[in-house]
Amino acid sequence: MKVGKLIHLKEFLEDAKNGNVDIGEFTAKVFSETKKIQEKFAPFITINDSIGELKKGRIFPLPISVKDCICTKGIKTTAGSKILDSYMPPFDATSVSKVKENGGFVLGKTAQDEFGFGTFSTNCAYSVPKNPYDRERSCGGSSGGAACITAAATFPHVAIAESTGGSITAPAAFTGTVGLTPTYGRISRYGLIDYSNSMDKIGVIGKEVFDAALLFSVISGYDPLDSTSSKVETKDFTRFIEKDIKGMKVGIPKEYFEGIDEKIAKNIMERAASLESLGAELVDISLPLTKFSLPSYYLIAMSEASTNLARYSGLRYGLQENVSGNFSEYFSDIREKGFGKEAKRRIMLGTYARAAGFREAYYIKALKVRQLIINEFKNAFGKVDVLLAPSMPITAPKFSEIENLTPLQIYNIDKLTTAPNMAGIPTISVPAGTVSGLPVGVQFMANYFDEEKLISVASAIQK
Amino acid sequence: MIYMVKIGLEIHCQLNTKSKLFCSCSTNISEKEPNSETCPVCLGFPGYKPVVNKKAIDFTIGIGIALGCTISNETFFSRKTYFYPDMSKNFQITQYEIPIATGGSIDIEGNKIRIRRVHLEEDPAKIVYANGDISTTEYTLIDYNRSGIPLAEIVTEPDIETPKEARKLLEKISAILEYLNVYDVSKEASLRVDANISSEGERVEIKNITGFENVEKALSYEVIRQKSMTRMKKVIERETRHFDETTRTTKGLRKKEYEEDYGYIFDPDLPSIRIDDAWINSIKDNLPELPDNKVKRFVGEYKISDYDAGVIAYTGKDMADFFEDCCKIYKRYDNISKWIINYLLKSLNWNSQKVSESKVKPNTFIELLEIMDNGEITERYAKELIKEYVDSGISPRALAKKNEFKVTDAELKKTVEGILKENEKALEDLKAGKENAKQYIIGLVLKATNNQANPKLIIKIMEELIH
Ligand SMILES: [Zn+2]
Repeated sequence: MKVGKLIHLKEFLEDAKNGNVDIGEFTAKVFSETKKIQEKFAPFITINDSIGELKKGRIFPLPISVKDCICTKGIKTTAGSKILDSYMPPFDATSVSKVKENGGFVLGKTAQDEFGFGTFSTNCAYSVPKNPYDRERSCGGSSGGAACITAAATFPHVAIAESTGGSITAPAAFTGTVGLTPTYGRISRYGLIDYSNSMDKIGVIGKEVFDAALLFSVISGYDPLDSTSSKVETKDFTRFIEKDIKGMKVGIPKEYFEGIDEKIAKNIMERAASLESLGAELVDISLPLTKFSLPSYYLIAMSEASTNLARYSGLRYGLQENVSGNFSEYFSDIREKGFGKEAKRRIMLGTYARAAGFREAYYIKALKVRQLIINEFKNAFGKVDVLLAPSMPITAPKFSEIENLTPLQIYNIDKLTTAPNMAGIPTISVPAGTVSGLPVGVQFMANYFDEEKLISVASAIQK
Repeated sequence: MIYMVKIGLEIHCQLNTKSKLFCSCSTNISEKEPNSETCPVCLGFPGYKPVVNKKAIDFTIGIGIALGCTISNETFFSRKTYFYPDMSKNFQITQYEIPIATGGSIDIEGNKIRIRRVHLEEDPAKIVYANGDISTTEYTLIDYNRSGIPLAEIVTEPDIETPKEARKLLEKISAILEYLNVYDVSKEASLRVDANISSEGERVEIKNITGFENVEKALSYEVIRQKSMTRMKKVIERETRHFDETTRTTKGLRKKEYEEDYGYIFDPDLPSIRIDDAWINSIKDNLPELPDNKVKRFVGEYKISDYDAGVIAYTGKDMADFFEDCCKIYKRYDNISKWIINYLLKSLNWNSQKVSESKVKPNTFIELLEIMDNGEITERYAKELIKEYVDSGISPRALAKKNEFKVTDAELKKTVEGILKENEKALEDLKAGKENAKQYIIGLVLKATNNQANPKLIIKIMEELIH
């Protein structure tokens, strides 16, 4: 197994700033390497072919891959779905414009489960990314392409990814990368193609904590174009790298260790012990509502998704055909052809969960459960600074294994990530060694807007 | 058998904010090329997010207050999902559980019509049928210029008892909205109505009627249709019907499921909105005087009748202002209201004009009353003159003068002499100083001269002749 070598971004950016990087040579190398990686692991749906003039900003001249559900002006954006085949957004998402303003460029659009509907990046209308540790295995999902290129890159690079219920943590854990899922509202969703708007969060995946902290600092902040964007001021999060964690209270929620592969649990507890040796205090904690997060997450996510997907009717953009029949016949035909199996399943389940007569029992009840889970987390963060848990209950599975899983078994694999994601609290997943040669991830959760604590503790563990 | 009819209305009012509800496109779309006033937000492109126009919330709060509603301290938007070609996203952003305002009422001649709610939502696009007919069209065209214009929806309880009352309610609400200056009264389509009506059987809904007269017609037709259905022992089913303006009938569109299923969810792109008391009060404090208050004040201040005050106030804010401007320069207030209601309004209506759009001005209108008071013209002549005055805006005195020269003094003297000779009885009465005889003769003279004579001069001539 060969995974892309580690290049420290800080030094690279310093070199570039001092004029010691030949930009033409550098970008040529980036694209030739990218092509090789694409052939081998297929992380991209689209590789960008014109990067234009780069600005001399903070991340000059960093290649940034962008998950395909995030709009990029003039670069095909499909959210991994056939129904948006050849869709060219007329604008850049706020996170993408911030990359450009700060001297970065879009390397390409990374593969994902259709609209984010999946845990393994196998529900893809286009390419299915392969795990750089073992091409027979999944990269995780739904930001599988983002994690794949991050792990495989042989050049400086950071990925913009997106998580609704664990779509950053899962692929980061499966590919041995660092995935930061910020507080809901911290990075503008303007330009993000919606899956479940009340839970969708743009985030980042990098090789090291520094990489994630850097790109997060660049693309976060208030945006009047997104009504759910937070006005809490952003800052330079790289300042919190390797900050002393002496006295930090690290909660170990017992529910997150139930039914976990023992070897994985052992890896995680070793990390906890290393934090203790750095002066952190480990606190046993219980979050009994955790088990309710999975069903309520899926009810909310599917309810919202089924309304978001209603707009795709082949009329003004995306997949279109010669008009025939009446409106209902035409859009039914387009939707039949354009949506994959999982998208159709979620549209049906979501429509059911919010239908008259069922709405109270499913959709509304799920929202109430979400509020209780939020309260439970708030309560916990009154006692501890961060929570530590395994990122995923398993290591990256083989594609052949995934084929045999039922949808419910697949949904169940998200059980460690749905609670923090539905509450909208920030989490970070950091590599925690390997089990049988496959990466394991440890995740930290923190209170709203406490990303700096995540960055400190994650960089401490990375060391 | 007493036939009970219950009518409820849903009134959709296009708010005249500068920009649309969730994007910065203009709401001024009249005479714009189709689909020119659009952007990716109102076209429902993926990735774009709605940002609410606060002005539209202000307007809706104002409407709620004016209709006597309670304003919610917290409100939010929901998604109402259904597939229809006029919906850019196949869901409409509207309000479901907690609208901006609830529980008001409006009084229509002693009958209290309860207002259930006032909420804010986005207008769908406009559908243009190729041949103008929904049932036989070969294809439809869609104009998204209308997509996303803010609509305030006013929903009444089914308290309306007759089609005529429905029309009166609409006229009253329209006047209130006009006073609030939240919609463009000149645009017919800016007020659209869904009416539901139930009598013996199930509730029938008539969708999307424009024009108050059409609402009355549609409901009247529906009352008759339902009556005859009942008489023939046919079951009236729950359904949605469409009003055909040309045939003045309603046609069945679709039978309805008992529970409408729009699968409402909270719109996750739009955080809930806190409307605190300070916000409500700031709108309350800046509300214009509403027509009902005007009526009360006019009755008290100008001692005109309730009826007159009501007609003036509800004709429109411009008419109420016109009346008050007149009262500043002329003190026989009841005469002003009499002449507005009986004559001025008639001429304006004839021209389909509002007073503010016409050439009528307070000083010239009062001049008409004054030259009548001082006998320069008769009341009868004034009634003739007002039409010409409304059309031209020329000072009534100048108009009268212009007209009087059409009959020379000598001719007039001859005419008066002739008439007096033919009316001996009147002549006697005139000599006896009877006023009605005087008016009678003037009438005859005016008739003979085709109203081309100055009444003052007629009196002068008469007096010379009898002495
Ligand atoms: Zn627009």
